[in-house]
Amino acid sequence: MIEVDLTVNGERYKLDVEPRLTLLEVLRENLLLSGTKEACGVGECGTCVVLADGEPVTSCLMLVGDADGVAIETVEGLAADGELNEVQQAFVDTGAFQCGFCTPAMVLTATAMLRNGAKPDVEEVKKTLGGILCRCGAYPKILEAVAQVIGESR
Amino acid sequence: MTGYVGTRAARVDSVEKVTGKAVYAVDLQMAGMLHGAVLRSPHPHARIVSIDTTAAEAAPGVRAVVTGRDFPYLFGSAIKDQPFLAIDRVRYVGEPVVAVAADTEAMAQEALDLIRVDYTPLPAVVDMRLALADNAPLVHPDLHEYWKGPHEIIPHTNVNTIYRHERGDIEAGFAAADLIVEGEYSAHALSHAALEVHAAIAEYDSSSGGYTLWVSTDRPFMLRSELAAGLGLDSSRVRLKVAQVGGSFGGKGVPVAEAVAVALARHTRGRPVRVELSREEDLTASQVRPPAIMKLKTGVTRDGYFTARTAEVLWDSGAYTAYTVGIAIRGSQTIMGPYRIPNLRILSRQVYTNKSITGSYRGYGTTQVTWACESQMDDIATQLGIDPVAIRLQNAYEEGDPYLNGQIMHGVGVVETIEKARDAIGWGSVERQPAPHLRRGKGIATMIKPTMTPSSSNCVINVEQDGRVSVVAAAPEIGAGQDTVLAQMAADAIGVALASVSIPATDTALTPYNGPVASSRTTYHMGNAIVAAGAEIRDNILVLAGEVLGVEPDDLDMHDSVIHDNDGLALITLEDLLAKYSGEGYSMTVGSRFSTADSPLLKADAGVEWISSIFWMFCTQATEIEVDIETGVIRVLKVAAATDVGKAINPMTCEQQIEGGVIMGLSNGLFEDFSIRDGRIENGSFADYKVATIQDLPEITPIIVESVHDEAPFGAKGIGEPAAAATPPAIGNALYDAVGIRIADLPITPEKVLRALAEKNLAESRS
Amino acid sequence: MKRLRSFAYHEPTTLREAIEALAAAGDQAQVLAGGTDLIVDMKIERIRPSAVVNLKRIPGLDGIESIAGGTRIGALTKVTDVEGSSLVQDRHPALAQAASILASPPVRALATIGGNVGRASPASDLGPALIVHDAVATIEGLDGAREDLVENLYVGPGTTTLASSDIMTSFLLPDPPPGFGSAHVKLGKRGGGTDIALAGVSVSVVIGARGEIVDCRIALASLAPTPIRAVAAEDMLRGELPQEDALVAVAESACREAKPIGDMRASASYRTTLARVLTMRALRAAVQSAGVEVAF
Repeated sequence: MIEVDLTVNGERYKLDVEPRLTLLEVLRENLLLSGTKEACGVGECGTCVVLADGEPVTSCLMLVGDADGVAIETVEGLAADGELNEVQQAFVDTGAFQCGFCTPAMVLTATAMLRNGAKPDVEEVKKTLGGILCRCGAYPKILEAVAQVIGESR
Repeated sequence: MTGYVGTRAARVDSVEKVTGKAVYAVDLQMAGMLHGAVLRSPHPHARIVSIDTTAAEAAPGVRAVVTGRDFPYLFGSAIKDQPFLAIDRVRYVGEPVVAVAADTEAMAQEALDLIRVDYTPLPAVVDMRLALADNAPLVHPDLHEYWKGPHEIIPHTNVNTIYRHERGDIEAGFAAADLIVEGEYSAHALSHAALEVHAAIAEYDSSSGGYTLWVSTDRPFMLRSELAAGLGLDSSRVRLKVAQVGGSFGGKGVPVAEAVAVALARHTRGRPVRVELSREEDLTASQVRPPAIMKLKTGVTRDGYFTARTAEVLWDSGAYTAYTVGIAIRGSQTIMGPYRIPNLRILSRQVYTNKSITGSYRGYGTTQVTWACESQMDDIATQLGIDPVAIRLQNAYEEGDPYLNGQIMHGVGVVETIEKARDAIGWGSVERQPAPHLRRGKGIATMIKPTMTPSSSNCVINVEQDGRVSVVAAAPEIGAGQDTVLAQMAADAIGVALASVSIPATDTALTPYNGPVASSRTTYHMGNAIVAAGAEIRDNILVLAGEVLGVEPDDLDMHDSVIHDNDGLALITLEDLLAKYSGEGYSMTVGSRFSTADSPLLKADAGVEWISSIFWMFCTQATEIEVDIETGVIRVLKVAAATDVGKAINPMTCEQQIEGGVIMGLSNGLFEDFSIRDGRIENGSFADYKVATIQDLPEITPIIVESVHDEAPFGAKGIGEPAAAATPPAIGNALYDAVGIRIADLPITPEKVLRALAEKNLAESRS
Repeated sequence: MKRLRSFAYHEPTTLREAIEALAAAGDQAQVLAGGTDLIVDMKIERIRPSAVVNLKRIPGLDGIESIAGGTRIGALTKVTDVEGSSLVQDRHPALAQAASILASPPVRALATIGGNVGRASPASDLGPALIVHDAVATIEGLDGAREDLVENLYVGPGTTTLASSDIMTSFLLPDPPPGFGSAHVKLGKRGGGTDIALAGVSVSVVIGARGEIVDCRIALASLAPTPIRAVAAEDMLRGELPQEDALVAVAESACREAKPIGDMRASASYRTTLARVLTMRALRAAVQSAGVEVAF
């Protein structure tokens, strides 16, 4: 067992855990934050993306020990006060999801991408979101949602 | 007054999904829950000589170890051919052999290492053509002894389905042809690859002998029947609760994780057992689309009208039939396309092989046969010198045409889909060579899809005293937006605000029967049930309001939960009416049942009425692609996809289905391919089984065509399946347009493109 | 989903400690850098290490800096940071390009340059790019530090010259001479270009005062058991003017030097075709990156 000191969505957790656990497993099972999903476990689908110090990472490939001291954000942290952030609202407005399984990762990645008023072009948006699979094919509406956020911030 | 139907209402599952609060089967945690793991067959075909589980049983945290001998049941809806866990014989690589339940998933997986299974390998048959041979190894030597439904099999062979259909005079039809075109096409196995893997929790109640399961499924009642029938239980002894479903595409209907979870739960003294497949297991050992080899022979006149077509289709069910018997029958019919063909003959056979189980896959056979039909359509057009759009338009079904069982077709918008797709893609012009190594072309393909007929849906609508409405309908939200469109229809049928309508999660103990959320049937069938129940409950409310207000109910109406008079003057809100004027603890409940069984629309030739469909769906897609002639890589630039949906209850969710179908079709047609060697899938991982990403996204123009259907709720038919089928042939036809080559075998890979280009260049240099 | 099997876990804070932990654990120990290959290999049980030595608590192993003679890149530098470094983009474009198409963004944010080299995948993206930049790796082991060209590290698929207790600590990429240009191209299965390479080619060139190619490197991925240089093709190119017909002949030569296998991803013959086509494209792009347009 190792002791880890995690900061998730601004809250600190001190845990004694097996070092073989991934950050994803600890989030979902120890912290009961099931918004972060697992669909492949090997870094190919992107549904497990969380923000580590603001940057999207595949949490299925990160041992929990490596999350110690890193500020982790999950989808549960985005509308913590009950108000959807502008990316979430744009996803609702444009219907940028279907089954919803990739949505937490898409919303988090788009939120990170658009922070600080960034205005990426469509090719950059596709590149940034290219690591997250959506089997339902919500991609056109996801692009629309991102465009809505960029448009609003103009 | 306008209502919610026809508007782009935000999806009712929006907030829970964008906040990560939506709960899927894989998210559920229960007190006392154990975790399962499965030891799977390494052989495509083998006899199990012995299984030694002693060491695993003694391993830390292990609570149960179960083999097929410990749980000797078979299931299967058309043929009862599949064990919950292999019994004495394994029939594909990945078949569950031993299941372990332990305190943690890691402990369960570790215990698998301690199990010893001795096998005697048997000759395997992994090629569907070889499975037909006289001396082929038999995958199911006992096929003739299994329970089966009414369809035909050939006992003592691998043929688990044989189906024939004929209409007209086929010989005379070919005699009348000016040109006969023959071709053979094949469609490959595909994974549904829903992002949420198969997962289930099962709990056994020893006092009743029943099971409760928490599952991810698109067809709770069919899954329940299959489990119960397999276990020899009354249906209601198996209770299914359905959470959000993280994608299905036809793949979450048969027992997969459920079968293992049930077998384990029987041996864990009442503790619930969770079984979640890994992605590798999900890809290689859940279900795949059944591969097909399709031979088409078509006679046409000089001016491009059909005289006759014969179709011979061979389907590969893999080791067990699951829901594929129906695909071999229904799917084969649609190989005739949405075209008037006066003389036709179909021979369809499906064989067992020692490969992964196949199952229903978005389109139920149409994705395979549309590839053959529409590829050949362009061959015919080329040989006759007729434009591909023109030949489709002149042969396409129109309202009132007879289907291939004589049913008079109603709600037929195929011509409009062809015209609109043609116009949107800018048919007839293309920049042929944008760079020295690039070539562009355009292609078109169309398709027809019936829906499961007859079938039924039941619903209960309950209005609570605060005016909130729950629509109890067993139509799990698989992502396609059914909760939203059902809520929109309910809101308009009753006259309440959309925000007041909710659809509780399905629980087979509480929710009345519904057919599957499959075959694009939910909007039409459950919609009709909701419209009927909604109208009745609205009448009841207006009667109550009439009594209270002292007005004739006929002089009242309700909209957005406000009761008003016929001049539109608001009189009272529903909430106030029920709160103030009805008794304490009041709730108003109405149930209804809708079935298509007795519809006059289904009338057809004697003996083949069962082929009729209550409605028809059509989708035409036109594509523009770019081919890199040095690497063979195809980039799809544009897709115009026109789908005849009847009435769009919600244009936004319709677009979602069209766009999602196109992307799935593109992914199916270009990227997704199992590499199978000696019956073993080599690429059972998302690292090598490639699903399209946002970077593969073409410019998609979704087009909604609204043909009129008299019996449809608000005119709405269905939409979920059609869009995925036309994409691959539209790309294949665009490839022919771009560089003059035709790939007959899916998928269209860069290697095949380069090889075909080389062959074409060689042939041209010789001539 | 698959769970990781148990292992002894070490988070050393000095290199010495890490090397000793690795030495003590023997052959069954694995170094954890970014983990994007290691964790995958452990999950699919390609390997089952008894011990994992995580290097991330050791200071000084990451970062990109300009030092005398070149660019120093710490072995634990994230691929994302390599991709985004203006220093790398300006001086070593093939490496920046290779980094930009290595897997997906959320994986690149974990993966490290040292891990990618140490993994010794035949399909490595960064390996060929480092080779054409004459990158030298510094390796610390029980007997102290040593240096070697990246190109010399590869032994076979998944194996390098590193002993099990060796740790790669940094790479030095020499300053590019005047007239230098480089590029990396690869082809994967899907359109995004980030899939595992069916074939990949890195090229660097130095263009002399008269416009001729005075020096060059051509390195291939997924076209041999390890990333390799196409030496004969390089010899053919030296002294030539960067014109289409010369480049075509060089690409043909590179294609002959490739020794691809056929596997579930591509046939050997298709890879051979790609060797020619991608070498041609990488040559053109490298020459362009040196500021010269290829004459057709």
